[in-house]
Amino acid sequence: MGRIINIIKDFSLVGKISLIALVIILIIAIFAPYLSKYPHDKPVASPLKSPTKEHILGTDDLGIDLWAQIIHGARISLIVGLGTALIAGVGGSTIGILAGYFGGFIDKFLMRLADVMIVLPELPTMIVLGVFFGSSIYNIIIVLSLFSWIKPARIVRSKTLSIKEENFIKIAQIYGAKFHYITIKHIMPYIFPLILISFIKLINRAIIAEASLSFLGLGDPTSKSWGLILNYAINFSGIYFTPYWKWWVLSPLIAITITVVSIAIIGREFEKIFKLKI
Amino acid sequence: MNKPIIGKALEYIITFFIILTLNFMVPRLMPGDPFTFLSNDEVGVSFTFTEEEIKKYKDYYGLNKPITTQYVDYLKNTLSGYLGYSIFYNDEVLNIITERITWTISLVFISTLISAFSGSLLGSISAYYRHRKIDKVLYFFFVSISQIPPFLIGLLILYYFGAYLKLFPLSGGITPFMEYNSYWHKIIDLAYHFILPALTLSFVNIGNFYLVSRNSVIEILSKDYITTAKAKALKKRRIVFVHALRNAIFPIVTRIFLSFGTVIGGAVLIENVFNYPGLGLLMKEAVFYRDYPLIQGIFTIMALFVLTMNLLSDLINKKLDPRLS
Repeated sequence: MGRIINIIKDFSLVGKISLIALVIILIIAIFAPYLSKYPHDKPVASPLKSPTKEHILGTDDLGIDLWAQIIHGARISLIVGLGTALIAGVGGSTIGILAGYFGGFIDKFLMRLADVMIVLPELPTMIVLGVFFGSSIYNIIIVLSLFSWIKPARIVRSKTLSIKEENFIKIAQIYGAKFHYITIKHIMPYIFPLILISFIKLINRAIIAEASLSFLGLGDPTSKSWGLILNYAINFSGIYFTPYWKWWVLSPLIAITITVVSIAIIGREFEKIFKLKI
Repeated sequence: MNKPIIGKALEYIITFFIILTLNFMVPRLMPGDPFTFLSNDEVGVSFTFTEEEIKKYKDYYGLNKPITTQYVDYLKNTLSGYLGYSIFYNDEVLNIITERITWTISLVFISTLISAFSGSLLGSISAYYRHRKIDKVLYFFFVSISQIPPFLIGLLILYYFGAYLKLFPLSGGITPFMEYNSYWHKIIDLAYHFILPALTLSFVNIGNFYLVSRNSVIEILSKDYITTAKAKALKKRRIVFVHALRNAIFPIVTRIFLSFGTVIGGAVLIENVFNYPGLGLLMKEAVFYRDYPLIQGIFTIMALFVLTMNLLSDLINKKLDPRLS
């Protein structure tokens, strides 16, 4: 914990601002139901109201409060982002360590699989899977994880391969240390920064992918995510000739932008501090 | 010498078969089918199929044959260019796709050229002014701001240039029902609709090209022959753009071919922002109507395109860099 605080102290000003922004978004997401007196899925006022004191971001074409939708959308983005990053990050790193440490058949098979998956055009494949699997939030997390493990796996594998040849690991092996002991004691400390940075990048990728899929109308229809709000907004005919776009299009757009950019900047700060390039 | 090339090609063919198999398996693993979808129409006009009708259609589409026969039939059909029949458009999938594909392909190629060109130019400028303000600003911009998904930038561009300034059309790829006096007029009209989506799409990869060219120019600037060039008192600009960038072109070209997977995904989204009549817009329509054969057909074609481009990148790699073979 102390180490992490020290790292954060080394952040540049922009990095610190991004971190604060992200923490605010996190708090908003956690306390979403208490931050708005209106529900995010039921009409509460007349449709297409401009922002007022009552409805700080106005309402959409059904009269649903937009602020309630935005703060609820933060939850979905973060659940999808963290969920995917956790599954793909842990899964990918495990695969990477196994492949790098044991080599041989496992390594060949996993890396061939990664080669096949990496050439698939990501978004079209996710659309096909989304259409058939149905687009509940859990399915989206699973589909995204299927596509996201490759990069961490490859990075962790190559690092593991190079550490494996170090003398201290050879000696530990001679003393009879087993795979899990070596992994936890010797390999993990070296690859942890790599995993951390991949984890941050995975969060961003997943948030963007979820927004893209729901923008195309493939989001979870029961949970209004930011992409889905945008999807409804731009399908409202003539939205650009009305004043509505100012709150209806801009608010989810700004929400996605702030989240994604601040996570990207935090990732870059970690890269700078660990002197790593992914 | 040709052996690795054949090996690579074989690898891609295997990948393509895996994609086809995936395409075949996915709909058969899922619960529900288009019949049940059609039966529950949202308007309330419920059309139901009788058992006999369902059986008739299952016979017609070959859904009651053993799965292996279905698989072989599917492979035969796909390889002979029959991608299925669209339920919604009432036409062969391949016909619908060929009608729309030119829009997407031209968008993808031209925006890739724009982003490769401007990305590598900015990258070399950044390398040239390394550690100075302009480098820092550009680097910050491309590492963080370029993370914003391009379709969001597209929404803003569309509003500002289309609706607010009224400089460009809001949607479509061509003015409908327009009579053209000459070929030239048509080209102008097409270009007029093309500019905003193409510019937006070029945001997808410009950051990548920037980083690749910046890194390789910086690396090359530390080489001996650059020191020689400096010793000859050549101008720094000439050193960067003639000596360094020319040698950095190799990773950039490779990157161009490898980037098509992301660009085509970006195109799907951006076509929907601008209502540009390519495959992306078609895909969204197909998703909306749950037109499964059409969705899968578009996916197959896109995957084939991306695979071909990856194979080309391997071939060009070998050609440009003899060390690899």
